[in-house]
Amino acid sequence: MSQPTLYADRAEWSDVVPIEQYENTTPLAPIFYKNEYKDATNYFRGIAKTGEKSQRVLELTEHLIRLNPAHYTAWQYRYETLLAIGSNFEDELRLMDELAITHLKTYQVWHHRRLLMLKICKPARELDFIARTFKVDAKNYHTWSYRQWILAYFNDNELWSGELDFVEDLLYADIRNNSAWHHRFFTVFQSGVHDGEEDRERVLKRELIYVKQSISLVPNNASAWNYLRGLLEHNSIPYSRVISFIQPYTLSMDEQTADLVDLDNPPPSKGAHLPCALAIEFLADIYEAEGGDRMLNATELWKSLGNEYDVARKKYWEYRIREGLRAIQT
Amino acid sequence: MVQIDDNYPTPTSVSQKSTVALLVRPSPSSRSEKPTPIQSGILDTNLHLGFLGRHLLQGLPARYTSQDASQPWLLFWSLQSLSLLKVELDQGNKDKAAEGILAMQNPNEGGFGGGPGQAAHLLPTYAAICTLAIVGAPDPSSKPDSDSVKSITPWTRIDRRALYRLFLSLKHPDGSFRVSSNGEVDVRGVYCLLAVAKLLNMMTEELVRGTKEWVRGCQTYEGGFASAAIGIGEGRWAPLGEAHGGYTFCALAAWVLLELEFPSSSSSSEKKLNFRNLRRWLVQMQGGEDELYGFRGRTNKLVDGCYSWWVGGCFALLDKLEERDGDVIWNPEGLKEYILYAAQHPAGGLRDKPPKSPDMYHTLYNLAGLSSAQYASQPQTSSPTSSDQSSPSSSSSESPAPAQGAPSDSSITSSTPLSSSSSSSTVSDSASSTQAQPSSTPRATPTTPKTAASLPPAITLNGTDPLFNLTKTHAEAMMKWFREEEREDFR
Repeated sequence: MSQPTLYADRAEWSDVVPIEQYENTTPLAPIFYKNEYKDATNYFRGIAKTGEKSQRVLELTEHLIRLNPAHYTAWQYRYETLLAIGSNFEDELRLMDELAITHLKTYQVWHHRRLLMLKICKPARELDFIARTFKVDAKNYHTWSYRQWILAYFNDNELWSGELDFVEDLLYADIRNNSAWHHRFFTVFQSGVHDGEEDRERVLKRELIYVKQSISLVPNNASAWNYLRGLLEHNSIPYSRVISFIQPYTLSMDEQTADLVDLDNPPPSKGAHLPCALAIEFLADIYEAEGGDRMLNATELWKSLGNEYDVARKKYWEYRIREGLRAIQT
Repeated sequence: MVQIDDNYPTPTSVSQKSTVALLVRPSPSSRSEKPTPIQSGILDTNLHLGFLGRHLLQGLPARYTSQDASQPWLLFWSLQSLSLLKVELDQGNKDKAAEGILAMQNPNEGGFGGGPGQAAHLLPTYAAICTLAIVGAPDPSSKPDSDSVKSITPWTRIDRRALYRLFLSLKHPDGSFRVSSNGEVDVRGVYCLLAVAKLLNMMTEELVRGTKEWVRGCQTYEGGFASAAIGIGEGRWAPLGEAHGGYTFCALAAWVLLELEFPSSSSSSEKKLNFRNLRRWLVQMQGGEDELYGFRGRTNKLVDGCYSWWVGGCFALLDKLEERDGDVIWNPEGLKEYILYAAQHPAGGLRDKPPKSPDMYHTLYNLAGLSSAQYASQPQTSSPTSSDQSSPSSSSSESPAPAQGAPSDSSITSSTPLSSSSSSSTVSDSASSTQAQPSSTPRATPTTPKTAASLPPAITLNGTDPLFNLTKTHAEAMMKWFREEEREDFR
């Protein structure tokens, strides 16, 4: 396998004056770059100094970002070059598809797509691309936030219409995928009202059923409980609304009583590990909100968490007890 | 709380299970072997000094090319780690560090980039300024006069005017900032900008108009903060990305910096953060016994040593904001277990989790988290300022950390300069982990067998200011310098 030719040895680059990184100083913590990288960056500094924007600069910056996908200056300069020489942004996007898969965790890879998307304005294709990358990494933070940005920025009802199904597929694959739960909340509650979602009562009911069923299937899933809390708070519904639902989750398997199928209150699945600490916490919150004598019930539950069901967070439960008791004294 | 999967495995729970299997206290391979400091739950300071020394002085292998656009960070992570370990560089190396940083100041845009000739960027700017805070303080005994002021401190060479112009040029109408001229918007950039503005006394109303509201818009229904927020009309925001430890730290620190500088009046109609949900989320991020009480960065993800700071450090920020004392709502003793048993790497440096390799980023944020945990466990001590001396203070009235079954260990080196002079072989000796005993660095040695009265000192590290992740000494010296009236107006 042959080594790539250094820019220093290429006739077509001989007009460029390469610039060393450190001219007079030997820094602390020097990086021992390979020659290929040193050469490429010396030439990059060279063309950046003259402000050259040309096809060969696209070649050089592509080389650089392959060697170091986090080289944000090279990305930035590449973008400016694309603009200056009137490049085809869609071709650039296709090139980026390859890089994105290999370097999913770099900010720059995704931000560059965003800049291109602002020019190309074809978000539907992007949503498809993003969906494919989730197969590789279902929780990639850059990808999820980029998806949310596309949806919110273009705000096209066509785009939104497929989103709930999309997120449900991912939740079906992994009910514990918190990124997907967040995306669900974003889609349903934090992005205005989309076509078909105007009946907010119906939407709310649908979401409540969905989260309850998720909790029923896998009770010890913080994502689902956080979603339930968020759903209720966002819609100014008191936690007490779901007390009958959550109560069985605060008991052990032996103490379960539900015989009848109650669609509004799906019980814990047969395989569930009970009692569920998140349910006990939730019940305590309900009692705390009621105040008065009920605060003592809350206190009992917090004690049980601190002593038995969630010992690692003992100090937090003690804090809740203090605050609770303080509240009823005033 | 033991992780349980309700007999319904998914990729998350499977990954969690295999991680937990590796989060065990390390032990000697045979009963006859004496436990190492790490195996005894002790911070092996010398080992980590060796790791840091090697990187600073011998340099970094080619794979660090991926960090070529983060050179100020490499310096900040190592030098702040040294500060936490109560070690400082000798003057020669301090000067070298300062010169290196100044070479990364962008002559056209102002601010600092990831390396010489790189574009100005808010994140390396923070790392550069903080590094200068560590290595560039003027000698307090010398008097500033117009001729020699430049030689007293490299701080005079920070171009504040250009920096302020840069900050304004990066601002968006919605109150946010992008990190570089065509870069992404996220709360890390906002935090970095505000921290620098505070250190260099450049916070103006003009600079921060609208920023608080944008930061608030980043809070999610879970209580933590997302990377950014997009306005969706009528003063409402949609957070981009789920609640995340790194972004939460940046958002909360940004909020506190803004609140301290421009306090909102109690009658103000300005909306506040949802502190109840934030507190809950922070506490929920700490892992259980089977995870050695480390912190994760997001719900249903794996614990990672760097969140010891990003999440663990948030409690000190809340304290600063609410001026509360004594109410520790999290498990600092537990966090110490994670850092000492899981994050310490047997060859030096600290890491995400076993079996990963250590790196300077994880070394710093584990140590910063450990410092937070040490000070949180000691409500009797006053602010971390009191421990900026070389001797550990602490009345160990707290119960011993579960980790420590080991002999008492006063594992502090006194301020040991890492010398750059070629005649001295101090550093390469102590830096080599293959040598049994470093030649001249005072080594931590276990003393007499432990009795109930001779518990190890609870605080062994310097305290770190949660707003900057600098020691109070360094942060205050810089802020004081730039407050003096003789300083050039930056506008």
